[in-house]
Amino acid sequence: MARQRFGLEGPSHTGHDVGHWDGLKAGELRIQRCGACAEWIWVAQPLCPSCHAFDPGWEAVEPDGVVYAWTRTWRAFHPSAEVPYTTVLVELPQAGNKRVLGLYTGADDPVIGSRVRGEFESAPDENSWPLIRWSAV
Amino acid sequence: MNLRGAAAVVGVGQTVYYQRNTAPRSTRGLVAEALIDAARDAGIDVRQIDGFASWGDDPTEGTHMATALGVHELRWSSLAWGGGGGGQVPAILQAAAAIATGQATCVAVYRGMNQAEEGRMPYAKGHFDTQYSAHGILTPVQVCAMRTQRMLEIDKVPASTLEALALAGYHHAQSNPRAVAYGKPLDAEAYRASRMISEPLRRHDCSRENDGAGAILLMAADRAKDTRGKPAYLLGGVQGFVAGWGELTENQDPYTSNGLAPAMVERLWAQSGVTVDDVDVTQVYENFTGPAVAALIDIGLVPAGPAAGEVMTLENLTVEKGRLPMNTAGGNLADGFVHGIGVVLEAARQIRGDSPNPVPNAKVSLLLGGPMAPQVGAVLFGSEDALA
Ligand SMILES: [Zn+2]
Repeated sequence: MARQRFGLEGPSHTGHDVGHWDGLKAGELRIQRCGACAEWIWVAQPLCPSCHAFDPGWEAVEPDGVVYAWTRTWRAFHPSAEVPYTTVLVELPQAGNKRVLGLYTGADDPVIGSRVRGEFESAPDENSWPLIRWSAV
Repeated sequence: MNLRGAAAVVGVGQTVYYQRNTAPRSTRGLVAEALIDAARDAGIDVRQIDGFASWGDDPTEGTHMATALGVHELRWSSLAWGGGGGGQVPAILQAAAAIATGQATCVAVYRGMNQAEEGRMPYAKGHFDTQYSAHGILTPVQVCAMRTQRMLEIDKVPASTLEALALAGYHHAQSNPRAVAYGKPLDAEAYRASRMISEPLRRHDCSRENDGAGAILLMAADRAKDTRGKPAYLLGGVQGFVAGWGELTENQDPYTSNGLAPAMVERLWAQSGVTVDDVDVTQVYENFTGPAVAALIDIGLVPAGPAAGEVMTLENLTVEKGRLPMNTAGGNLADGFVHGIGVVLEAARQIRGDSPNPVPNAKVSLLLGGPMAPQVGAVLFGSEDALA
């Protein structure tokens, strides 16, 4: 299984998700969390959808999760993609069961409901960002 | 105020569906051709169109279309927000709302696409942020595949439901000379042999991509009587989402549904005065087979879980023998894909006539709009009998 990257990383133009990407640079998986009402938030927002406090903060959680869904892609939708590769949607019990996407390491099919753990992979160059690769525990 | 009977489809038009990158004119030119065809079907002057509604980043703004066609007056133009095909039903309901409130008198709902002009997959551009792209999720098929995988693995919906829907579309396309797959039948063996795109979705679970355009014209019900042909009356429609859905994307709940929440489904039946048992024919937006199965479960035509496989058999989905005839022109898979306009046209044609596979005496025609998008919707068209 190729440990490939797509080079399509980093904060979005709104900047709402910059806390997540900064977290990866610091070796942490950070999820947005409201400082006022403690609600976990994903997709990142400029305010808490629950209590409307602006500029919610970010909190680090362990990269321990449960597979919620997955797909193995067989068609190269990007010029640099080497297929197949597997993407998992990981549910994070520590973060109010919010789900994040990630690349999966391992040739076997991920099993929905089973535990996975993420490993941080540092950025290969200054224009890239660290990523988390998930594998079965 | 209720939309029931407030507006009717009085004209249906389309261009040829071309293989992508081969259309002979621009997106605006294609849409103009479809609108002229729809006006001809209605027996009205195309310059009478005074409203324009579309969805999914359609590049042919109402102001441009009104100028290109030299309409007498522009009174309404709107674009339903949201990526994917989810804006399809909202565009229809925006047109109906404009008519019901007297803002416009003849509103076109249309969608055109020319991928040579607009680039590859223009309907998906800008809707996959870096959370997706960093992890290799770059196209709609992959997000629909993840949901389908969970629907099969956890909800235990049989994979045979996906196959039945694909085969039904191809079956119906064989009697539709307008269909891209006309003369190109698909059997179970060929379906199963088709290559994997994004597990569990195969090539034949995926819609085509065509250049072309399609359009329907809506007018007030009392004015519809002066047009040519049978009006397809709007019985009801719902659009949007219930909390827990929307732009939460992979955090939407319930994740394996189509997004057509129970509250929306109940409102559809209450408003239209019919029930799920009254539906004579269904068009379901199948960009990919899995999400369409989810839509059929949401609306209550198909049971959830393993029992879905008992209802969704090829035979049961065909016009000739089925209790649930669907995608009767071939659907996005076999008729052609111009961001789902084809299923809109066929939903109206089942009431107006001119369907390649008419359901005898169809009174109630259901359209299930684009699935698993930030907003979703469903619309019911009916004959004059259904309105009585
Ligand atoms: Zn809050």
